[in-house]
Amino acid sequence: MIQFNNFSFKYREGIEPVLYNVSLTIPDATFVGITGAAGSGKSTLTYAINGIIPHCYPGDFYGEVFVEGLDTVESTLTDISMLVGSVCQDIDSQMVSTVVEDEILYGLENFGVARSEIPARVDEALDAMGIADLRERSIDSLSGGQKQKVALASVIALHPRVLVLDEPTAELDPASSLAVFELLARYAHEHGTTVVVVEQKIALLSDYADMLVIVDDGHIRFADSPENVLAHSDELLALGVNCPRSTTLMNELSKRGCYSGPAVRNVAQATEALMEVLA
Amino acid sequence: MIEFAQVTASYDDDLAVLHDVSFTINDGDFVAFVGTNGAGKSTTMRLINGLLKPSAGEVLIDKMPTTQLKTSELARKMGFLFQNPDRQICCNTVREELLFGFSVQGEVGQAELDRVDALIEQFGFNPDDEPYLLNRGTRQLLALASIIVMEPPVVILDEPTTGLDYRECEKVMGIVRQLNEGGTTVVMVCHDMEVVGDFAQRVIAMTAGQVVADGPTFEVLRNSEVLKAAHILPPQITEISLALNQNCAQLPLPIAQANTVDEMVCALVDVEKGGF
Repeated sequence: MIQFNNFSFKYREGIEPVLYNVSLTIPDATFVGITGAAGSGKSTLTYAINGIIPHCYPGDFYGEVFVEGLDTVESTLTDISMLVGSVCQDIDSQMVSTVVEDEILYGLENFGVARSEIPARVDEALDAMGIADLRERSIDSLSGGQKQKVALASVIALHPRVLVLDEPTAELDPASSLAVFELLARYAHEHGTTVVVVEQKIALLSDYADMLVIVDDGHIRFADSPENVLAHSDELLALGVNCPRSTTLMNELSKRGCYSGPAVRNVAQATEALMEVLA
Repeated sequence: MIEFAQVTASYDDDLAVLHDVSFTINDGDFVAFVGTNGAGKSTTMRLINGLLKPSAGEVLIDKMPTTQLKTSELARKMGFLFQNPDRQICCNTVREELLFGFSVQGEVGQAELDRVDALIEQFGFNPDDEPYLLNRGTRQLLALASIIVMEPPVVILDEPTTGLDYRECEKVMGIVRQLNEGGTTVVMVCHDMEVVGDFAQRVIAMTAGQVVADGPTFEVLRNSEVLKAAHILPPQITEISLALNQNCAQLPLPIAQANTVDEMVCALVDVEKGGF
């Protein structure tokens, strides 16, 4: 479980806090999608989970953040890293090796995983991300989507309880983005891992997340199931968050009395609902 | 006018990344290139602005082959917006950044200063801000402004909305639309099909270094064979409309052809009122 208790944070060089009085509970094995306008504080929220705040970016930290019972202020970054695996937005800045297999080995060796256990962990991570065929490839020769999967494999090889990803599909085409979310969702459900994704592509979050968190100007405005959050498409638009068009369509029909079901999360749900409307 | 005549291109002699590609982009067009990573879209952009020359065939800009044009000549005709603005921004203040293109050409007179001031006002920039301290969306807007201040007849945009939030995306694309309405040719690579559907007049779909479709935006985005071949998903309302076409007999035409939320809502409300 991840628990924020009245958490506020102001970067040392900042004038105003970036997050104000955040209280949020994320149950184990939840797929959480965080979105909001640029500068709203959503990345800072993830930095508080993986310990970058306060251990790398100092500032004024108020309240408490617990990850799997670990107080992130009292713990070392190493302790937090044992629980939380992170993938940056800029994948190239995360790569430390020149060959795919070495990239996955790097974390395992640095975390002191027993030598006898390492080959199985590498195989498992490559298989989970569907990139076993890339094992001996040079990282420079990979596409953006392939590098993304290597970065994910190198993190999940460490068996983190929590995965934190900052815009993992920013540079990927729609098919590759979908593939990454499919892999993440499948991995999370199979391993009971909590996944926290910051993403602008709300259609993907709506489709895959168990919980949507909308951050606006340092405040959590919504933290609920996608259906409950997406029902507020007009309020979300005012916060700079544009719902998937399928959701907006059904919410508009709901306003006009043509649809009375819950907010839809994707094209399939909208199509199914419309077929009933048209029947 | 931009013409590709049976163009083949490669970064390595043994590995062609573009095969026999032909199309024409007329002055004032707004064209989106779509397709998966590695389909050849960015290579096509590099061929247009002359950073890459064809290994076979010809790329013609206003009837002149790019092989006979200097990069500096092409740069005056083409403004290129990189996907990552940080690969473009190089000055210490917003004003210096906007003047950079003129400085390189040795043309900083009163007219150029006035043009920069007008853009600073239009975009709402603080001229003394340090570009690298601006947020991602504002840096993207600055990179766009630094291109359009030179008033190139063609603007090439490589994933102009990547990493932007909804408001930033609308602002960037609104300015691009204004440019196009003023006569600027816009050539855009874009993965966001909602943006493509909202703004582009024409779509060229690519896969494995070849053009698989070229036509009016929704003609291409409603063609299921093209969508499959190029591994692309249409905008959501188009996808819903296509799915209803497949699953509902005697679907009213406005629903069967809807591509926007407004079109679909109007069509469905009419059905509810018994208008068909």
